[in-house]
Amino acid sequence: MANLPTGLISHTRRVQSLYKKALRCLESWYDRREVYRYHAILMRKRFDENKDIRDLRIAKDLIAQGEEEVFQSNHWHPRKFPESPGGVAYERVVTPPDWMVDHWHPLEKAQYPTYFAKREELKKQFIEEWTKKYGKPSPIAH
Amino acid sequence: MSICLIYFVTFLFFSVLSFLLSLNFMILDYSLMLEYEMLSINSCSIIMTILLDWMSLLFMSFVLFISSMVIYYSEEYMEGDIYLHRFIMLVSMFVLSMMLLIISPNLISILLGWDGLGLVSYCLVIYYQNIKSYNAGMITALTNRIGDVALLMAIAWMMNFGGFNYIFYIDVYKNSMEMYIIILLIMLAAMTKSAQIPFSSWLPAAMAAPTPVSSLVHSSTLVTAGVYLLIRFNFALTSNLMLILLFIGTMTMFMAGMGANFEFDLKKIIALSTLSQLGLMISILALGEYQLAFFHLLTHALFKALLFMCAGCMIHSLSNCQDIRYMGGLIKVMPLTCTYFMISNLALCGLPFLSGFYSKDLILEVLSMSYLNIYIYVIFFFSTGLTVCYTFRLIYYVLVGNFCFYSLSKINDNSKIMLQGMSGLIFLVIVGGSMLMWLMFPTPYFICLPFTMKIMALIVSFFGAWFGFELSKFTLNDSLKSFYLLNSSLFFSSMWNMPYISTFGLNYYPIKLGSKLYKTIDQGWSEYYGSQNLYSKISNTSVFLQFMFNNNYKIFMLLIMMWVIFMILYI
Repeated sequence: MANLPTGLISHTRRVQSLYKKALRCLESWYDRREVYRYHAILMRKRFDENKDIRDLRIAKDLIAQGEEEVFQSNHWHPRKFPESPGGVAYERVVTPPDWMVDHWHPLEKAQYPTYFAKREELKKQFIEEWTKKYGKPSPIAH
Repeated sequence: MSICLIYFVTFLFFSVLSFLLSLNFMILDYSLMLEYEMLSINSCSIIMTILLDWMSLLFMSFVLFISSMVIYYSEEYMEGDIYLHRFIMLVSMFVLSMMLLIISPNLISILLGWDGLGLVSYCLVIYYQNIKSYNAGMITALTNRIGDVALLMAIAWMMNFGGFNYIFYIDVYKNSMEMYIIILLIMLAAMTKSAQIPFSSWLPAAMAAPTPVSSLVHSSTLVTAGVYLLIRFNFALTSNLMLILLFIGTMTMFMAGMGANFEFDLKKIIALSTLSQLGLMISILALGEYQLAFFHLLTHALFKALLFMCAGCMIHSLSNCQDIRYMGGLIKVMPLTCTYFMISNLALCGLPFLSGFYSKDLILEVLSMSYLNIYIYVIFFFSTGLTVCYTFRLIYYVLVGNFCFYSLSKINDNSKIMLQGMSGLIFLVIVGGSMLMWLMFPTPYFICLPFTMKIMALIVSFFGAWFGFELSKFTLNDSLKSFYLLNSSLFFSSMWNMPYISTFGLNYYPIKLGSKLYKTIDQGWSEYYGSQNLYSKISNTSVFLQFMFNNNYKIFMLLIMMWVIFMILYI
């Protein structure tokens, strides 16, 4: 389901994302910055050459060719920022959310009586402040 | 006092103790076998046996020393981690399993240690909780499981001898069929743990673990457990098995060396280099020189642990970035770490008088002396060249060249605790080789070679270094060889497609069979005889009954009328 297109993608956007993909691909292949810049400029030239094409049939064909070229020349180990999706440190540290503590077993909770007493108090205070600021939540319809 | 410091002191103390004991045992040529009766019921006794000789004690002291340094180092590397205690506990459980494995002359207690290693290594690989780690942990655990099963089968087969203490039977029964099957299974187990060729893909995947773990578990100790087991069993290896082992070892060495030249992840490069060195250990073991394999095992453990710790230091400063294309020119910003990195890299290459030189050079010379075919000779020296090649590629990308990270970065050499941990190892990385050489080989090996064969190691290293530097640097007008030969680059970079073999290759037929069974049985016959058909029958019946029910009044009235007519006619 995730791969289904959720909207119409305009031609301009397709060109732009193709250009970005091409640059990312070049970045993976040419790891020295000045060499990468040189090849990025050559790539820009290739895009600029076709920017005035008015015939959409030709333009669509060119985009299909370009996407195929990017796919074929993908790097086997593309550069990824560590914290971005696909990177090594993506979602590495999972911090348990605060509400997890509410799901503790009563026996476990009984081991930290002062903490949980204070916690209940704080929860009440928070709800009070929230209702004061936003009003009472409307009853759920369903 | 922090938990790291407590474990550091404990492990260091036991390391020094077992080192001194091993020296004593070595001088006296003494082995100690302790038998401890744990349970005795109805004349059936369960006895725990412990074997202490210079080999086990020396290995133990090295494992303890490296783990003490790694735990000390973790104090800063894992700083701020909410699960630090769990981490340290896992590492110390790993060390305990390793100890159990090292001192056991008994296959059952070896299995306990062995399984402990597998389990703890799984828990450490999935320590970071992202999907990549989970996948890596699964492939690690399942591959090691094959070895565990082989070991279990070997234990079952040991029943032929009436006992599990292999050390008593290994010499007596070495030509028997039973021992042949046992050694075959042991070989399989060792191949999975030491990541030899069909089972190699788990080792680079296991780099998803935190770097101190990679430093201790996946480079210096756990992966050498397989080699250690084979060293213990080496008297039972027949010549045919040795040749198979030699072939597998050399192929692993070559494959990993090629793979490391195409890899861009800093930790994976070092993991592949570990794989290549493991291949070297297995191959020299298969040539019958088990002492040399053990020697290389120890020196390799030292410099590889340090190499990983330096890599960890760099990754830590570069905020988790592991790609070597983001690095470059680090020598200017982290000089001490880079010095250590360089020293351990050169020890890996076998630069004279560093620790790697003594073991690696000796292995190559012993190989040159032995009577073998040209394939083995060429692949050994080619792989040695490849080691130097990827090391220099790494040096080019990481240490020299332009700085390629973000301009706003906090890279520096101020990590005091991590540097202290690394400094503990550097001394042994430099002098460890010569020290062990004097200790382990009181009588020197006799090497007699022609001059060209003698300097062959130097020549391949020189060419390797040159290629490593030349291949990684390119200027504006250079065409990318790796791009124009994309298919072969893909082949070498994916370890000869091995990850595919151990994932899709294994899954394909079971999953296909599953889909067929699902279609024919779950959605086919069982639907026909079970739910769907039953449902349609019941629903048809109920529709009929509904129809009848709708006509109920009509029928009722009709019956009344019929009754009335009946009454009139007959009264």
